[in-house]
Amino acid sequence: MSALGAVFVREARLAWAGGGGAAGPAAFFLAAITLAPLAIGPAPDLLAAIGPGIMGFAALLSVLQSADRLFGDDHGDGTAELYLLSGVTPSWLVLAKVMGQAAATLWPLPVIGLVGALMYGVPVAPAAVGALASLAAIPALSLIAGFAGALAAGIRRSGLLIALIATPMMVPVLIFAAGAGRAAFEGDERALANLLLTLAVSLGATALAPFGIAAALRSRLA
Amino acid sequence: MQTETLNFPDMPTLRPETLRVSGLSLARGEVMLVRDFGLELAPGEAVVMSGPNGTGKTTLLRAIAGFIRPEAGTIDIGSHAPAVAAAEALAWLGHADGLKPGETPRQALRFWADMAGQSRKAILPVMRTMAIESLIDRPAGRLSRGQQRRTALVRVALMNRPIWLLDEPAGPLDGGGRARLAELVAWHRSRGGSVIAATHQKLDWPDGKRIDLGAHR
Repeated sequence: MSALGAVFVREARLAWAGGGGAAGPAAFFLAAITLAPLAIGPAPDLLAAIGPGIMGFAALLSVLQSADRLFGDDHGDGTAELYLLSGVTPSWLVLAKVMGQAAATLWPLPVIGLVGALMYGVPVAPAAVGALASLAAIPALSLIAGFAGALAAGIRRSGLLIALIATPMMVPVLIFAAGAGRAAFEGDERALANLLLTLAVSLGATALAPFGIAAALRSRLA
Repeated sequence: MQTETLNFPDMPTLRPETLRVSGLSLARGEVMLVRDFGLELAPGEAVVMSGPNGTGKTTLLRAIAGFIRPEAGTIDIGSHAPAVAAAEALAWLGHADGLKPGETPRQALRFWADMAGQSRKAILPVMRTMAIESLIDRPAGRLSRGQQRRTALVRVALMNRPIWLLDEPAGPLDGGGRARLAELVAWHRSRGGSVIAATHQKLDWPDGKRIDLGAHR
């Protein structure tokens, strides 16, 4: 198997072996979207209008939820050193790692987002656009979470630092992804533009974030 | 000590490299740990570094591996400099074994063999040398510290890299484990590899150079 393929497969396997795989983010996401209507109150029109936004927002929080383990574990158990001496280009390696973890743990988010939006009373088409947008947002969200996680690797209470670093960086992708669902709900043609912008942020993050993650990982070892 | 030289037919031949360290100074914070340190490690040689806690043994190994930048001096591996460019010449064993609690030695060693572009066929013979082949499917979290260390040493051998950097390789090993480590090191040196180990224990490696880092402050 190629080295990058091996990293991808191993991350997916470790996510299931050690962290319950997709269960953690999925449970967190479900809890958030179930609790939100209880706090907001029983107004069907209001819930349908805010549905797409709540889905995007809750998906973002679910991605952040496991960010401290992504590189924190590697830092603590000596794997980070081995990665840097593996001879595999670090930026490619961390990209394969983040994507392997995302593929194993975040795939339920668009599905739950779709069902959740329908239960909020959002019509099928805008709910589907919202789910697509959250799918398009996953690479950007997980790479930003990975970058914050790598910067905070090995620090006590790294969760606090990760939230402070990652949240502002996630603002654009949240605005575009939630905006796609919202615009589709309002029948606004900007839905497609928002969806494409979400994809663009994800592509940009895929191109840039691996260098940042690799540099952060190296600096945490010095 | 050993009755026959080890042989792993599935390992390709090693490309020996020479490590040259000159004028090296290392600091941790404001404290100077190592001053004007020099070392030449030719293929087949072994160096055992000793010295009290805090004299910079680990720091020196980490500098050679390229994890930290020296205050002064140069580290060359073969024709490569700095050390980071020569990652492919180094096999690393740090304080931590680099194992995941939920992963078995079979899974972990296959992964690292793939990463290093090496054949998986050598995994079992090398595990047998370290006498842990019966643990191949037990999750690393349920291995003893010594068994985890042996697994990590198998990984070092499997990477098939010419220069081994070992930080306290024998720390949690028992007498049998130390003898097997010595065999593995002898095998590595016999094929042109070299070893630098930092240790507090007596490692009985024939004609290994000894360096007391406490004397280099």
